[in-house]
Amino acid sequence: MTASSVGGLAVRVQEESQRAVQVALPAFADIVREHQGMVFSLAWHYLHDRALAEEMAQEVFLELYRHIGSIQSPEHLLYWLRKVASRKCIDQTRRRAFWPKFGLDDIPEPPAKMRQADPMLSGTLAKLVASLPEKARMLVILRYQEDLDPSDIARVLDMPVGTVKSHLQRALGVLREKLVRSVGEIAL
Amino acid sequence: MSNLEDDLRIALRREEPSADFTERVLARLNQPAPAEPTWLERLGVLMRPPRLQWVAVAVIVSVVIPVATVQYRGERAKEQLLFAVRVTGTKLHQAQRKVVETGRMGTRL
Repeated sequence: MTASSVGGLAVRVQEESQRAVQVALPAFADIVREHQGMVFSLAWHYLHDRALAEEMAQEVFLELYRHIGSIQSPEHLLYWLRKVASRKCIDQTRRRAFWPKFGLDDIPEPPAKMRQADPMLSGTLAKLVASLPEKARMLVILRYQEDLDPSDIARVLDMPVGTVKSHLQRALGVLREKLVRSVGEIAL
Repeated sequence: MSNLEDDLRIALRREEPSADFTERVLARLNQPAPAEPTWLERLGVLMRPPRLQWVAVAVIVSVVIPVATVQYRGERAKEQLLFAVRVTGTKLHQAQRKVVETGRMGTRL
């Protein structure tokens, strides 16, 4: 997708009538298809509830449709989607007091010999990430799902870079400790 | 880079939502936006059970506490006034006794 395609869609959605919005829908559908994996995965890894994550991702795209006029470039679109998805996920946990309670007992025992990219280890790690506090959880997801630098994460979450770095270090420490407790040193 | 970071990248890799995700987003776009509730409807919502309890609590807190405070202050003021009257009465009584005693001593001399 190019900047002009995003801008062109914005102009059409902003300026034209309801009938013209129908014409713009295929272009919007392309945007949804291109970014749905990113938005859904942010919500899925954060909420650990597939139905809720899909609902949340849909709301992010509905909000994008309403604010498409403010999107200036594909990079801005990515930034906007990450920012809105992060904010909605954090708001969701605060509003419904949703907190995935994964005790160590809920996490299955891994096989004796662990290998990297083991699906069981990945499942365990995903659940441990989902058990982190709100901000730390989103930091870890943005860092390792989206591969964002601390400075980009700071921009998305409106936090100082130093805070992002210290929270990330602390979150990694917590994850390492919990992983050792749940699967043993062999996993590390 | 530690293994934990590699494992996190694998565990948190992107996944796709259900196959009809885009169609469901587009379907929601075509739905008419829900009408804004009138103030009467909003009031009606407040008067339904779960929220009604909070409305009742808010009313009680905002009425009972100020009334109780005013009443408490009134009682305190009344007690202080009675105490002041008692102190003044005692002092007057003492002064009167002194005057009478001084008058008797003057008569004897």
